[in-house]
Amino acid sequence: MGVIYIMLVVSLIIALFFLVMFIWATRSGQFDDDYTPSVRMLFEDEHKQK
Amino acid sequence: MERICFHCGDNLGKKPLQFDDKFFCCIGCKGVYLLLKENHLTDFYNYESNPGLKPLTSSQDKYAFLDLPEIRQRFIRFEDDRIAKVSLSLPNIHCSSCIFLLENAHKANSKIIQSQVNFTKKLANITFLTKEMQLSELALFFDRIGYPPNFQQKKETLETNKSFILKLGLAGFAFGSIMLWSFPEYTKNGAEDNSFRYFTSWLAFLVSLPVLLYSASEYYISAYKSLRAKHLNLDIPITLGILALYAQSVYSIIHYEGPGYMDSFAGFVFFLLIGKWFQNRTYQSLSFDRDYTSYFPLAVRKIKENTEEIIPIETIEIGDLLKIRNQEVIPCDSILMDDKAEIDYSFVTGESVGVSVVKNSMLYAGGKLLNASITVEVKEITDRSYLTQLWNEQLDKKKTSTYQRYQDRVAAYFLWAVLIICVISMLCYLIIAPALIMKVVVSVLIVACPCALALSTPFAFGNAMRKMGQLGLYLKNSDVVEKLAEIDVIVLDKTGTLTDTRLTEVKQVRTIEKSSDLSIIIAMVESSTHPISSAIYAHLTSNHENKKTVHFDSFDERVGNGLIATINNDVFKLGSASFTNQNMGVKGVFFTKNDVLITFFIVQSTFREGLSSLLNQIKLNHEIYVLSGDNNKELSALIDLGFNEQNIFFNQTPQSKLDFIEFLQNKGKRVMMVGDGLNDAPALAQANVGIAISEDMFKFTPSSDAILDAHQLKNIPDFIGISKFAKVVLRVCLAFSITYNIVGILFAVTAKLTPLVAAILMPMSSITIVGLSTFLIYFRYLRLKN
Repeated sequence: MGVIYIMLVVSLIIALFFLVMFIWATRSGQFDDDYTPSVRMLFEDEHKQK
Repeated sequence: MERICFHCGDNLGKKPLQFDDKFFCCIGCKGVYLLLKENHLTDFYNYESNPGLKPLTSSQDKYAFLDLPEIRQRFIRFEDDRIAKVSLSLPNIHCSSCIFLLENAHKANSKIIQSQVNFTKKLANITFLTKEMQLSELALFFDRIGYPPNFQQKKETLETNKSFILKLGLAGFAFGSIMLWSFPEYTKNGAEDNSFRYFTSWLAFLVSLPVLLYSASEYYISAYKSLRAKHLNLDIPITLGILALYAQSVYSIIHYEGPGYMDSFAGFVFFLLIGKWFQNRTYQSLSFDRDYTSYFPLAVRKIKENTEEIIPIETIEIGDLLKIRNQEVIPCDSILMDDKAEIDYSFVTGESVGVSVVKNSMLYAGGKLLNASITVEVKEITDRSYLTQLWNEQLDKKKTSTYQRYQDRVAAYFLWAVLIICVISMLCYLIIAPALIMKVVVSVLIVACPCALALSTPFAFGNAMRKMGQLGLYLKNSDVVEKLAEIDVIVLDKTGTLTDTRLTEVKQVRTIEKSSDLSIIIAMVESSTHPISSAIYAHLTSNHENKKTVHFDSFDERVGNGLIATINNDVFKLGSASFTNQNMGVKGVFFTKNDVLITFFIVQSTFREGLSSLLNQIKLNHEIYVLSGDNNKELSALIDLGFNEQNIFFNQTPQSKLDFIEFLQNKGKRVMMVGDGLNDAPALAQANVGIAISEDMFKFTPSSDAILDAHQLKNIPDFIGISKFAKVVLRVCLAFSITYNIVGILFAVTAKLTPLVAAILMPMSSITIVGLSTFLIYFRYLRLKN
């Protein structure tokens, strides 16, 4: 059973890593605008001039 | 052929321009098209049809004030010796084509390095070469392609939104983790290994700390505030519940009894925050709170010893002489120094007709100059001027008025009920089992935590608000749903609300026999920019083909009277009865040749469709009034529509509209006001529900509780119906959540509440509420739609 303590700590560290990523993403403004990027990715690349 | 402009989609109008097999309504639109074509940006027209905006003809130095160092530094966010970054608010952003165009601006203008659009906030973050380009030049570039920047908006703080997302994320993280660790608690096997239980308990304690201290902090603050204001709200029992839950759990962790209710605690906070998030999802792209400053310029031209100097608006002093140019807004109440001027007060009054003013008369702030430049002397500085004062007073008043939400009224009863149950069970256990008193009291507080109750309002009203938005009424927040349900008087503005200002109806009473006369009248109205001239022009050219050019020997527009032209000693007049020397007793626009009547027109604004059925529906349950800033010439038309003559008032000023609303409210009525102009703004702010009506969601609307798409005016009864239904849904949800609470309290007072019961009861009640409110409102929406 002893291994479960290690597993718990490891899982908590992984979870905390994602929590930190989430906090970083929020702070850097990734959730400020949830509409524009969805449109932006659909724009065609510039038409090639023949 | 489609008679709309390829660029902006407007009617092609007087002189369409052709280029590349495409038609344009004006040089501006064609110019933008050319610019885009040169830079291979014509994809702009592929994402939406006719997405463009008609660029205004702005003067070269419209934005010159931006180069004043003290104004410039207000907007520049970053600057080094090569580049500068600026965040421009572009209110005209409205579709995906806009995003395409603005994000490719660097292709059309090499001095721009990069631009990035935030659609919801209608912002563009632009990086440009600071040596090659002045800020004013940048602003002018966007103005010329149809996106005039707005420099008035205060910098919005994104921070509150960010911290909310963080709170929600933290609570979700804690909830998920603790739930996992607690899982063995709920099975027999896990609960036996004690050292493992202590370990997970302490982990849960650690992870729950930020939830207690950060995520839930809003509730403590709100509860504290409401206690100080002696005004009970739902956050008080919530705070009590959260704290009791946490204290009990910490107690059991310290005494080696397992993690207690830590999972329920984190879950509570998480669900509560989700409810709040749902409630706060509003229409960010619409502006409900535009205040007067967004109409006024930032800087003005002051005349100082024959030279003009640009000064910021804050530094205007009484007695200053200002130069106002064509199309500019008058920044403060002032006196006209020139002989005459024509002012468009449509911002202020909503009426689109220009007003003529003579020397030494008062000009009010907010009016827009329609003719060549004038000089004015300042009488009152901007924030003291008549309109802004009226406006500010109203906003202050509204802020202090206390409106108790239904939810909070219920909360008061709820709190008392919980306290009474606590006391009674304490007394009972004092007799039967004193050792259990603490456990029972804490349990009661825990299950009484009105989580489901707190979710009922956001979900019932939030869903109703979103469905109304899909039908064309955009509410400022979900509280408005509740107010809308309680309305018993509806007050309507006339011009722009009941009538459609864009559809002015022209009736020509007599046909013109000579085609030369027809050419003359067309040439006359073509030379004038007055709205009535434009209406007559549109009427005549839609019925007659006419290409003959006419040369006047003289032509003059007499402001407030009409047009006068002479050709070969013949005098042609077009205008009011007195101006043309007619007395037929009819109100209209007369066309005379040497004072002999040729024809006349009756110009009438048209009422929106569906008005009479609207009236018949709302007359059943509501009183209805019409307030108009106009004279009474349309009284009979209004009566024909079904309005009651006693309830129509003409010649109303902004102040008298406001007073009328207040008068009704003092009689105990709850008033809904529907209006469109700035002159309705005080009344809209005073009314219990102020609805601004708008032809175009993205154009100007005065500060209001809701914005209504003008075509949906006839559906007002439906909107009131939805809000009433939402209130019923709220009551059903409340009944459900109280049932859950009663079940919980039964467990609690019999000292049988365990973490397992709490962990089942709490999510079940929340999910029922969310599902029920969403389903019921959606069902009602479907019925309305069909």
